[in-house]
Amino acid sequence: MTQSPNSLLSSIWPQFSRNGEEHLNPYYTFQDYRQTWGMTIFILMTTALLPLIVMALIYYQLTETSINTEALLRTERLASNTRRAVTFFLEERLAALTFTVNEMGYDRLTRPGVLSEVLRNLKLGFGGLTDLSVMADNGTQVAYAGPFNLEGKDYSDQPWFMECQQHDACVSEIFSGYRDVPHIVVAVKSKRPDGHFFVLRATLETERLIQTLSAFKTGEHADIFLINRDGLLQTPSQFYADPSRHVSLSVPAYSDRTKAVLSSDRSGLPIIVGYAFIDTKIAPTGFILMVVKQKASMMKVWLDLRSDINWFLAISAASIAIVITLTSTVMVNRIFHADREKAKTMALAEQNCQLASIGQLAAGVAHEINNPLALINETAGYVKDLFLIKEQYKEDTELVEHIDTIIEAVERCGTITRQLLGFARRFDIQTQSIDLKEMVTDVINFHKKEAEYRNIAISVDIPETIPLIETDRGKLQQIILNLVNNAFQAINNGCILDIRAEMDGPEQVRLFIRDNGCGISEEHLGKVFEPFFTTKKEGQGTGLGLSITYGLVQKLHGNIAVQSKTGEGTTFVVTLPVQTKKEIQA
Amino acid sequence: MKVLLVDDEQKFVLMLAKRLELRGLQADVSFSGQNALERIERGERFDVAILDVKMPGIGGIELRRRMGLIDPRMKFVFLTGHGSNMDYTLGANEAEDYLPKPLKIDELIETLNRLAEGPQAVPEPGN
Repeated sequence: MTQSPNSLLSSIWPQFSRNGEEHLNPYYTFQDYRQTWGMTIFILMTTALLPLIVMALIYYQLTETSINTEALLRTERLASNTRRAVTFFLEERLAALTFTVNEMGYDRLTRPGVLSEVLRNLKLGFGGLTDLSVMADNGTQVAYAGPFNLEGKDYSDQPWFMECQQHDACVSEIFSGYRDVPHIVVAVKSKRPDGHFFVLRATLETERLIQTLSAFKTGEHADIFLINRDGLLQTPSQFYADPSRHVSLSVPAYSDRTKAVLSSDRSGLPIIVGYAFIDTKIAPTGFILMVVKQKASMMKVWLDLRSDINWFLAISAASIAIVITLTSTVMVNRIFHADREKAKTMALAEQNCQLASIGQLAAGVAHEINNPLALINETAGYVKDLFLIKEQYKEDTELVEHIDTIIEAVERCGTITRQLLGFARRFDIQTQSIDLKEMVTDVINFHKKEAEYRNIAISVDIPETIPLIETDRGKLQQIILNLVNNAFQAINNGCILDIRAEMDGPEQVRLFIRDNGCGISEEHLGKVFEPFFTTKKEGQGTGLGLSITYGLVQKLHGNIAVQSKTGEGTTFVVTLPVQTKKEIQA
Repeated sequence: MKVLLVDDEQKFVLMLAKRLELRGLQADVSFSGQNALERIERGERFDVAILDVKMPGIGGIELRRRMGLIDPRMKFVFLTGHGSNMDYTLGANEAEDYLPKPLKIDELIETLNRLAEGPQAVPEPGN
């Protein structure tokens, strides 16, 4: 259990440790496993997460645009409905006044009691009226019905009266006037028979108008109110009034249609403003209807959904990242370990080759020593023979003992040379039937990953007509492995390696291993099979690879040749007998 | 028994011949495969030829093949400096005898006795 934090750490941050194994470095497929691991994670993450994030962003964009459009339309619709209600409220009252003046005329309306009767009827019919009065064309109030006694007052300087002089009807802004109570004046003008005009004026309670506006309010953050064209609030605003009773938003430019626009309030919060300039069919007004909604409240559903999607995205991305990291770690770790095994095998193979060459050397030395040993042995043996034959030495056992000492020493030397030869025998030929194509494929598989990594194209063309070869499996494998290794070291990424075979008469097969790498210069071409010859930097090559290969081919009774041109590539041609004669076992 | 010793190591082969003669064998020497072959071609006959495997010119294996063609009755014993290890191949009869250098004279005598068909005893020196 104590190891679990370590194993967790190694699944997240693998070590790819090569401690004490620097000698294996040339055999690894990838030189930097940390980089390979990082690249794998990066590529997989990009491939998996990028489409997810892009799709989410596109979805956000489309949904937000559509919800914005919907919010604007809804606000515009609300403003339009409210506008119709306010317009109807004013028009209804103006129409009643127009009907009254046209129907009753100045004389009837100014008779005592009539105006009160009309007011009562109007209150019954429409409600919302406070009082009713008739003005002469000089602005003097000539008849009055209502709770205040304002008869005789002069209204000639009132803006609504001045407007009424110019038009047939008027609607005032909301003001306090003489009675000091906020109200709206609606008035219609008519002509008397003497040619002078008079005005029938009614005062409307603002309460009814405010109630009408409130009826359209939906949601906590919606605000519906009227302003005049200077921005002065005509009805109370819940959120957008400043201390001077002006609206805290900018006054919209005139439009004869209802509109909705995106804007922001003083604190920078996004809002949607719907507005309409109120005009009745009978008289224009100075009112602007404002419908203001906070965008956040309208987008709440979407914001909640977006938050859910964000969570889902974050959890998905985290899961994908964890799975990719763990998978990449496991996979790259496996590649690393498999590669390390391969590197070890290849290092061992090369070491075996070196041992084989040491074995050959030992065998050569032992053979050379055996000849003089044999001479010493025979000479001493002959002297001993003489001592045993000749009468005068027969009694001198000491002399025979001395000779025996020499013979024993020779025998000991012979044992040593036999042991040396025995060591070399481990590398003797053991023949069996080999399918050349299968063996080449096996060897290529060793390098498959490296070839893919380095983008090296390997083509193998070994026709089915090539018979099974009677030869030593290990040695042939080593020969092919060495030559393919050699080619891999000589070629750059993106080059080709071509392996093909053909029959050379009925008894020999020729194997061509061709690369299009850097090639071998003419001066070096004659030395490539010499032991310890290398063009690599010191410490990077033993110079034994091709020399060992040469020795192995010789052992299999074949021969090896090389053709090369600097810059064009190199071809090694190995010729092997189809049947290798059997090794003699002593 | 008439024996022909063929080896390019002259002192060795002379010494070995003397030792065989001490044991009552008729031993003759050649210092090259070529010379030995010429002698056989000239009509000289031996019961057994003791051949070094590795010699300049005609080696022991080739020499055995060519001598065998001339005198099929001849027996052969090979000597080799490779001890018990043969890193060459032989296209000859596998029943041939091999002895490693340095030789043990008793083993050689035993081999020759066996080849001589029957107990044609080779005497110990001095007997």
